[in-house]
Amino acid sequence: MPISRRSLFKALLQGIGVGLLVDQRLPVALAGGEEAARDDVGPFIARVTRPFDAETPVGEFASFLTPNDRFFVRSHFGPPVPELIAEANWKLRVGGLVDRPQVLTLRELKQVEPVTITAVVQCSGNGRAFHRPKVPGVQWKRGAVGNARWTGLRLRDVLAQAGVKEGAQHVQLQGADRPIVDSVPLFTRSIPLAKALHPDTILAYEMNGRPLPILHGAPLRVITPGWMANSCTKWLTDITVQAEEAKGYYMQTAYRVPVKSAESGGIATGASTPVAAMVVKSLIAAPQEGDIVEPGFSAIQGVAWSGEAKVMKVEVSLDGGKTWEPARLVGDDHPFAWRRWRFLWKATTPGPVSILCRATDARGETQPEVSPWNPSGFLWNGWDRVTVRVTG
Amino acid sequence: MRTPKQTRTTCEARPAKRGQPIHVRIVCLCLALGLVGPAVITAAQEGDPASISAALALRAEALIMARCAVCHSEDLIIQQRLPRNRWEKTVEKMAHWGAEILPGEADLLVRYLSARYHPAAPDHLPLMDSELRQAETLKQEPALTGMLVGDAGRGAGIFEHNCQACHGIHGSGGMGPKLAKNPILKHEDRFWETVLRGRGPMPAWGSFLNQQDVADIYAWLMSR
Ligand code: HEC
Ligand code: HEC
Repeated sequence: MPISRRSLFKALLQGIGVGLLVDQRLPVALAGGEEAARDDVGPFIARVTRPFDAETPVGEFASFLTPNDRFFVRSHFGPPVPELIAEANWKLRVGGLVDRPQVLTLRELKQVEPVTITAVVQCSGNGRAFHRPKVPGVQWKRGAVGNARWTGLRLRDVLAQAGVKEGAQHVQLQGADRPIVDSVPLFTRSIPLAKALHPDTILAYEMNGRPLPILHGAPLRVITPGWMANSCTKWLTDITVQAEEAKGYYMQTAYRVPVKSAESGGIATGASTPVAAMVVKSLIAAPQEGDIVEPGFSAIQGVAWSGEAKVMKVEVSLDGGKTWEPARLVGDDHPFAWRRWRFLWKATTPGPVSILCRATDARGETQPEVSPWNPSGFLWNGWDRVTVRVTG
Repeated sequence: MRTPKQTRTTCEARPAKRGQPIHVRIVCLCLALGLVGPAVITAAQEGDPASISAALALRAEALIMARCAVCHSEDLIIQQRLPRNRWEKTVEKMAHWGAEILPGEADLLVRYLSARYHPAAPDHLPLMDSELRQAETLKQEPALTGMLVGDAGRGAGIFEHNCQACHGIHGSGGMGPKLAKNPILKHEDRFWETVLRGRGPMPAWGSFLNQQDVADIYAWLMSR
């Protein structure tokens, strides 16, 4: 008998590991009073129980790589039924404007030259909860992002094998995940051909040296380094080369931002463009909100990244953004990974202190205090802020 | 397809428990809902809380469980803090995508959602009194079922409209368990209990379906 979605969901949750706080009782209790207490503990902060969407507590970002079982989880319909992605049944189809349409097994794909890329993957809606006026959508705060080592093959190698025809401009990506009712649009996306042919755009089957977990798109997901995760299709089954952008809700209506800055509180009207590259951003991983800090020296640390440019500078402010002091960039430095940073702070005056941080990239883009408002709350990159209490 | 709904009134028919007078409990409920009190409601907010009685609020909560929590859990809904126009748009979008809501239900939902989950509402709203919710949904006494004769033909339609999204075509299973040939059908009392009261992610149907509806669904499932 095929496994139902429900038993799959339960199995998945068990697989995620200990301490996952999913309330099986009346979900009304979920977003209720207990949440504040749980915000920064446990491996996950669940935002939606079904389909499962959860963010990583930022304390986890003290390490360069985000572990697979702590990495934020987001999809529109949850993982596909297991039969569809079981290795025996799963195939990757490549078609559209190509000379030689392909049907490839995972085995065949693994024979293509493998590459490993360390890259940040971030949900476009990360930080949505901070936009004012508030906007609808999963109310992500800070942790819908992670940094992992992705191993797979170059998308361009697959495309070369198929032979891209003249006139091709976009590559449509379709995963095996399906809504439970047919009337809900599929999550169909496309990326421009140029991004698809970029040598660092890969189809990943490993994450941090382990087989890609189901929640992260097994057996194969797209990784578009420097771009938001809405282009990183999970459970990939179909690649279609075409002249135009993908059709449908998730390309033509959702995941877009206005070309001209939106009127605050308005609804989506006028020209818009798909959310693509990430914007420069940084987070404070330690100390954490509400921590008690002894007077004297203590380390403030975090991570910073940008879409298609290198992070050049991270600054910290302890006076609400009036003055800024540079932090030290430390550790591994890879083009699409995040960079860790550290700042030595001498706490003196007892009482609450807000720590702010902001990053600047090689193009000279600096994080604003507050990101431009847009109707769907994408691309939040306002200064990060953590308030601690210095003991007397 | 739908049968006329029984009109539900909240509290008057239910004996007060723990010796608490009923009106006291209604007041508590209103407070818990955040529907009264100047701190929560300002003139600028479009939701008119006065138009939502505790009875309607309970019905709206039940609607969220039964009509909305089909494709996604309701935590996605109650974490939003939106003005009325955006709630309207959201409910419209969901109906367009397949949420089985009737126009009157949509209207009640929008009123309720914009009264409770408006932009100025705190992140952490007080919980609803779960005991009251339970008591509200269990209006129909399973004991009476013996006298009803189910109509399988009618049950098929009611199932399609209310249960199929989770339990699959012909009750073959989906996000909810397979119901055709499910052992629970051999225990009619447990079937009724589960359907009327709900269980975990399974909505309580006590305030949507009348006894004849449930008997019809049961008859139809038995014929599968
Ligand atoms: C037929 C399936 C379905 C039903 C039924 C349904 N929804 Fe949704 N809903 C969706 C999908 C799909 C999304 C997008 C999910 C995502 O992006 O992860 C969504 C998202 C949402 C969101 C987040 C904001 C947004 O626009 O993405 C809210 C709020 C919401 N639904 C409310 C409701 C309410 C209220 C009801 C009941 C009237 C309801 N839903 C019923 C499918 C449904
Ligand atoms: C929102 C999705 C959803 C809808 C709509 C829904 N159910 Fe369910 N139902 C479930 C889930 C999930 C379970 C399993 C509950 C559990 O795990 O305890 C369930 C369990 C049941 C059970 C118990 C099965 C068993 O194996 O014990 C019965 C009976 C049932 N549902 C009947 C119905 C009927 C009749 C309807 C329509 C009037 C309906 N359900 C509508 C989700 C749903």
